[in-house]
Amino acid sequence: MSGYWAGILSILAINVIFAYGIFLPVATGQLNLGGAGFQALGAYTAAYLSAMFDLPVPVTVGVGMVVAGVVGFLIAFPILRTRGVYLVLATFAFAEVVAGTILNSETLGGAMGMSVPAFIDWDVPVIVAACVTLFVFYLMSTRFGLTMRATHDDEVVTDLMGVNIRMVQVSAFAIGGALAGLAGGLYAHSFSFVEIQSFNALVSIYVLLYVLLGGTQTAWGPLAGAAFFTLLPELLRTVLPQVKSFLAALVGIEGPVGPPDDSWRFVILGALTIAMMVLRPEGLITRTMLERLRFRRPSPSKEQVA
Amino acid sequence: MLLIQQFVNSLMLGSVYVTVAVAFTLTIGVLNFLNFTIPTLFMLAGMIGWALAYWGLPFGLSGPLPWPLALFFGMCVSILASLLVERFTFRYLKTKYGDSTEHAIPLVSSLGFLLVLENLVRIGYGTDAQRFPGPSADLTMSIGGIFVRIPQVVSLGIVVVIVVGLTWLLNRSRIGRGLRAIAENPDAANILGVDTNRVVPVVFMLTGLLCGLAGALFAVNYGEVSPQMGEDIGTKAIAGMVVGGLGSIWGAVLGGLIVGLTEMMTIHFFGADTVQVAVWGLLLLTLLLRPQGLLGHHSIGKGKL
Amino acid sequence: MSAPLLSLRAVSKNFGGLAVISDVSFDVPQGSRTALIGPNGAGKTTLFNLISGVFAPSEGEIRLDGQAIDGLPSRSRIGLGIARSFQNIRLMPHLSVVENVMLGQQARAGSLAGMLTPLSLFGRSRWRREAEDLLDRMGLSTYPGEVVATLPYGIRKKIEVVRALVAKPKILLLDEPAAGLNDTETANLRDFLMTISQTGVTLLVVEHDMSLVRSLCDHAVVLNFGRKIYDGSTRSVQDDPAVLEAYLGTRQAGKARTQEADHVA
Repeated sequence: MSGYWAGILSILAINVIFAYGIFLPVATGQLNLGGAGFQALGAYTAAYLSAMFDLPVPVTVGVGMVVAGVVGFLIAFPILRTRGVYLVLATFAFAEVVAGTILNSETLGGAMGMSVPAFIDWDVPVIVAACVTLFVFYLMSTRFGLTMRATHDDEVVTDLMGVNIRMVQVSAFAIGGALAGLAGGLYAHSFSFVEIQSFNALVSIYVLLYVLLGGTQTAWGPLAGAAFFTLLPELLRTVLPQVKSFLAALVGIEGPVGPPDDSWRFVILGALTIAMMVLRPEGLITRTMLERLRFRRPSPSKEQVA
Repeated sequence: MLLIQQFVNSLMLGSVYVTVAVAFTLTIGVLNFLNFTIPTLFMLAGMIGWALAYWGLPFGLSGPLPWPLALFFGMCVSILASLLVERFTFRYLKTKYGDSTEHAIPLVSSLGFLLVLENLVRIGYGTDAQRFPGPSADLTMSIGGIFVRIPQVVSLGIVVVIVVGLTWLLNRSRIGRGLRAIAENPDAANILGVDTNRVVPVVFMLTGLLCGLAGALFAVNYGEVSPQMGEDIGTKAIAGMVVGGLGSIWGAVLGGLIVGLTEMMTIHFFGADTVQVAVWGLLLLTLLLRPQGLLGHHSIGKGKL
Repeated sequence: MSAPLLSLRAVSKNFGGLAVISDVSFDVPQGSRTALIGPNGAGKTTLFNLISGVFAPSEGEIRLDGQAIDGLPSRSRIGLGIARSFQNIRLMPHLSVVENVMLGQQARAGSLAGMLTPLSLFGRSRWRREAEDLLDRMGLSTYPGEVVATLPYGIRKKIEVVRALVAKPKILLLDEPAAGLNDTETANLRDFLMTISQTGVTLLVVEHDMSLVRSLCDHAVVLNFGRKIYDGSTRSVQDDPAVLEAYLGTRQAGKARTQEADHVA
């Protein structure tokens, strides 16, 4: 496997795990705009354990996941007392506080970052991503998954049905945080270097958007979203040069300004988000779509009298 | 002495935060909509203003424009962009089920707009910070040993006028009554005869105006613009809004100033790197312990989004 | 006569100074079909909310099978045997028919092991089979995997009742089950509910359709402005002067009782 495609697969696998980390709270009805914070917790824990104590990768990544999960669990109780705008802002603020704390920490390298001695090849993230995917599919098929989606749709009634919604929300948030931390740990060992600037607010925004685009009703959604986001630049590489010069001529930009190619990927992500929210806010893959595909049954049957 | 000078400087920066915070809080108060495009509108005014002052109008329609005109057009672009956001976030909003993530649709759309606008600017103008050709004369006064620049004072004055004007608009004018009716109860407002299709765009126009103005003032006072300038200001403005209380204009004023002060003090005592954790930590604590902030209403945002 | 299944004693509910329910007491006998009626705004849904635990009474006591329940949290009521349907259907729009019904099993299946067992990953679990069987027996032959949001009103109403039934309740609170149904559908509903009653479930039904009330229920409690004004058999409720005055509001109330007065308020 060429080094280039190995890198893409690694990133895809890590993005899938990250996506599932955000998918769980969103599927339960909580928009988590703090993904980068959990990812940073996992990445820096793994990096630190690897650099300082030379612990093996399964341990560093595992501990990173646990740290992120525990922090998620603890922070979930106060944060999930808020709702709506407040909740989104609180998760956003949480990620910024994490980033700001790491920025000021000498032991963690501050603004200079930290290098990570142990390296993992592309097969590790891919295998882990496969396991995480299976795990999430399993979780969504259980009664716990049912209560998650019910909480998303109608908290009041779900509570009346006997569900402890606070525990469902906290669990989804904490497990999600752990998965995001897992993604972070794998990232640290795949790229041999962590710096806090790569765990910024935009990362939280990207992951939330591509999870929403993929669809939050089923466990297939995050796969679609992560694949789209990761592979889009590849698609653009083949199509972009012609489009770029055409548009630049339109607006009358003079001289070579050297636009970063990466930016087009985000323009498309943003534009698609706007379009999706207008046309199909539930995302690409929905329950109805799956049911139609699964059984290809005729139009809905009529009710028969008892 | 140095402290007082820094305090005066922070007042200036604080007034930029105030203006943007007011835009945020107005949109949340009236429409229950956390508009993430707001920092981008701020940046647009500055960047477009710079581009016009540097190159002139597109398609070679003119040479480089004088900076006041360039900034004026920059502000117009902000307002137009804001109305575009309204068209594609709010206008199409159909809440069918009223579940938790459905009310977040405008927020998510605004994130999309943030990405589109910011990256288009990056593509068009690169990522570097640019010097803004502001007033050339050295307009510094000295009041009792404290240095104050004329543009700073003018900006402060404009901000005061804007805030007072906005308060008057909300409390005394017909449009203001319509806005407050929508804020209370969007469904009832419609029935009571408020033409939401004409009143809601007013919020977006005001948003564009406020952010555009803040961007223009920033460009003049600090002489520098960049595609990233919205991010930092946006952060502080949101913090100001939360501390002051969501939905409260005077809260945004108070909050914006408090954040400016906090920033100045943390830089003075602990260094620039700690600002992020201090400001966001303040915001997080406020959200968790006293979500309504200093002057906000208890019900805004709760249970709706 | 055996002890009542559900009993309210001096129950009141105030919302910020406004008394929505005042000093209401009545019993719902075991196995009965009791109607809770009254003009709009009388407080019927509020009473349902009090019984099912959405909020607690300001004063008074609610007992189920002799046990006081008014202090217990909302999510424990269904486990005690109180299940309900809602005035504006409140199914989970993004869940399928069978999933909505399975939600009703939560109180019976919510242990840790229960939460973590797949419901339909490797074949259909016993919970899913139970839900599908009940849907079948109740005459809902809609495809169980169909997402609820797309189904017609009448079918969704029935699904909501099945969701309540699968909880194996002692008492079923139904909030306007006939709203929006035509005469044929109402007759079907009556038979449907009669069948349920015959399995031993006690029914407490809020309804405006008096013909349904008379044909289904044996006991009626009438509320007006949050107070109880009648408590007795459904046969004589329409002759009661207090009831008539509540609905028609005039002294000519007795004369105004015509054949068309089947749909009241």
